[in-house]
Amino acid sequence: MMEGGLAHPRALRHTDLDPQQPIPQEAELTTGRRIEPGRAYGFFTDTTLCIGCKACEVACKEWNQLPADDLRLSGTSYDNTRALSAHTWRHVTFAERIVEDGQRVTSMPPYQSNWLMMSDVCKHCDPAPCLEACPTGAIFRTEFETVVVQQDICNGCGYCVPACPFGVVELSTDDGKAHKCTLCYDRLKGGLEPACAKSCPTDSIQFGPVEELLDLAERRVEHLHAQGQPRAYLYGTPGAPGATGGIGRLNAFFLLTERPEVYNLPSEPSRPSRRAKPSFLAGLATMAGLAVAAALIGVGRR
Amino acid sequence: MTAQPRLPPWRGETYHGLPSLKASSFDWKVSAYIALLGLAGSAQVLAAVARLTGRHGEEDGLVRRARLLAATGSTIGPLLLIRHLKTPSRWYNMLRIVRPTSPMSLGSWLLTAFGGLSALTTLGALFGRRSRLARRVAEVAQGPAAITGAGMSVYTASLLSSTSTPLWAAAPAPLAAQFGAASMAGAASALALAQRRAGEDRSARRLETLAAAAAMGEFAAARVVERRWKQAGIAHAATHGRGRALLQGGGKGAGMLLPLAAHALSVLGAEGRSSRVLPELASLAMIAGGAAMRHGMLQAGNESARRPQDSLRFNQPRNARR
Repeated sequence: MMEGGLAHPRALRHTDLDPQQPIPQEAELTTGRRIEPGRAYGFFTDTTLCIGCKACEVACKEWNQLPADDLRLSGTSYDNTRALSAHTWRHVTFAERIVEDGQRVTSMPPYQSNWLMMSDVCKHCDPAPCLEACPTGAIFRTEFETVVVQQDICNGCGYCVPACPFGVVELSTDDGKAHKCTLCYDRLKGGLEPACAKSCPTDSIQFGPVEELLDLAERRVEHLHAQGQPRAYLYGTPGAPGATGGIGRLNAFFLLTERPEVYNLPSEPSRPSRRAKPSFLAGLATMAGLAVAAALIGVGRR
Repeated sequence: MTAQPRLPPWRGETYHGLPSLKASSFDWKVSAYIALLGLAGSAQVLAAVARLTGRHGEEDGLVRRARLLAATGSTIGPLLLIRHLKTPSRWYNMLRIVRPTSPMSLGSWLLTAFGGLSALTTLGALFGRRSRLARRVAEVAQGPAAITGAGMSVYTASLLSSTSTPLWAAAPAPLAAQFGAASMAGAASALALAQRRAGEDRSARRLETLAAAAAMGEFAAARVVERRWKQAGIAHAATHGRGRALLQGGGKGAGMLLPLAAHALSVLGAEGRSSRVLPELASLAMIAGGAAMRHGMLQAGNESARRPQDSLRFNQPRNARR
């Protein structure tokens, strides 16, 4: 039984519950937000708050029981994880600002060091290129507007892998299926916020309904501008870099202070399925022309 | 919405040189499938054209051989694709849904239809002499088989273009034209070989002419594709290493320029014994070159996906690309 002081006021409402039972809608305690089917949920990852502790990477691996990837040191930065993969669904990038405009950087931006850290994750795009590419229906949009690969349906064709504009989804050599972040679909169903967001000690990763997060993010950018960080901007919100070329928005979006490429993100990704029709029609026109040529040459004559 | 701050222009920096995309798992099995089903699909187009315009009976000659080529391709092709799946036992999940946004999904259905129709035309090729019913069935199936065959010849380019891999995404329409022309050049060459072997040299000559015309079309389309790559500043993977060897040496050299020269020589040269070797070698080179081109396209595309300087450049705002 928790005593005053340490416990959150909302938690005190649950003190009379059976401690063996899960708390219904625990996300209400941890984020102040209920998780209800039919609403869009996502992440707002604020890089100005990230301290590079990688608690999100660890929490994700533990909850989702993901095996370790390559354990070698990268030798380039504190980032030894290097990339998102079939078995790594959160990845903290470390970019050090050393040189700017040909000069050695001697000052720091306000409220930040010269280490730019970002916890990368599947963007749960809307529309999602991986989902649009999937021929089996293994990848689907859940009742929380997140994008999930159904492991009992995926046959490992691998078409979602080059379709993703962010290099997120990957085939596992262990089981021959495509894997990526599920935005903790199982936890959402149980009223829990995703493991990475819950473990983040600085609230750099915030979980909630996308509409609420968008408001929050706009206010955060204005706040940072007022504080003297004029470079703060959003990546993946409607109309911003990252949500371009037919991709309406990223349900997991970011607040950045440098060019997207610094964080290994594309400036203007595009929706691949847009290219299918023009390509196919041009091909069919070519074939029609060649068929006419065949008739003119008279391939049918003996 | 808050105003976007002015960011410094991108100067080619990458994240520790690490890839920003994942390369596809497409390997030789996929490139072999693309080349083989291109041949098979275009063979059905030729069978239909021959039936419509010529005096070839459907039970003998060109039409029969084209239908058998299509049957061979549509039998081996799906096996290659299933082998390429990382969970092959679930191949049938491809036929679980129809996803209009996915060329892989539509392609699976197209392949199914093409395979079925090719099986029907094969009835005509195998039993046409004895059975009127087999002839009738093949005749009815020939039109749809040709239409799905045209789709088979080009949908693979559309499938590659509908990814985020820079080299494939950069030129959707010209790439499909290149694949289609390569398919027709390959099918005409394969059937020319068969006609030569059967002693139908005049028919073979016409097919060789068609193959040469298609190869010239392929050459032109390939030039447009390359120009798009250069404009986007992402040509590196296609102009260096294995990509260069397969696309330039294999696809263009062995698949287009050499056979074109050989055909020209044999036309100019006297009619004689030697005039048969040259065109046959040219036809073989064209088929091999088409396969090399497809494999080179997969190789170079995967390489471009692994090169962050290419993928990040490709995703720059259009006017900022170099």
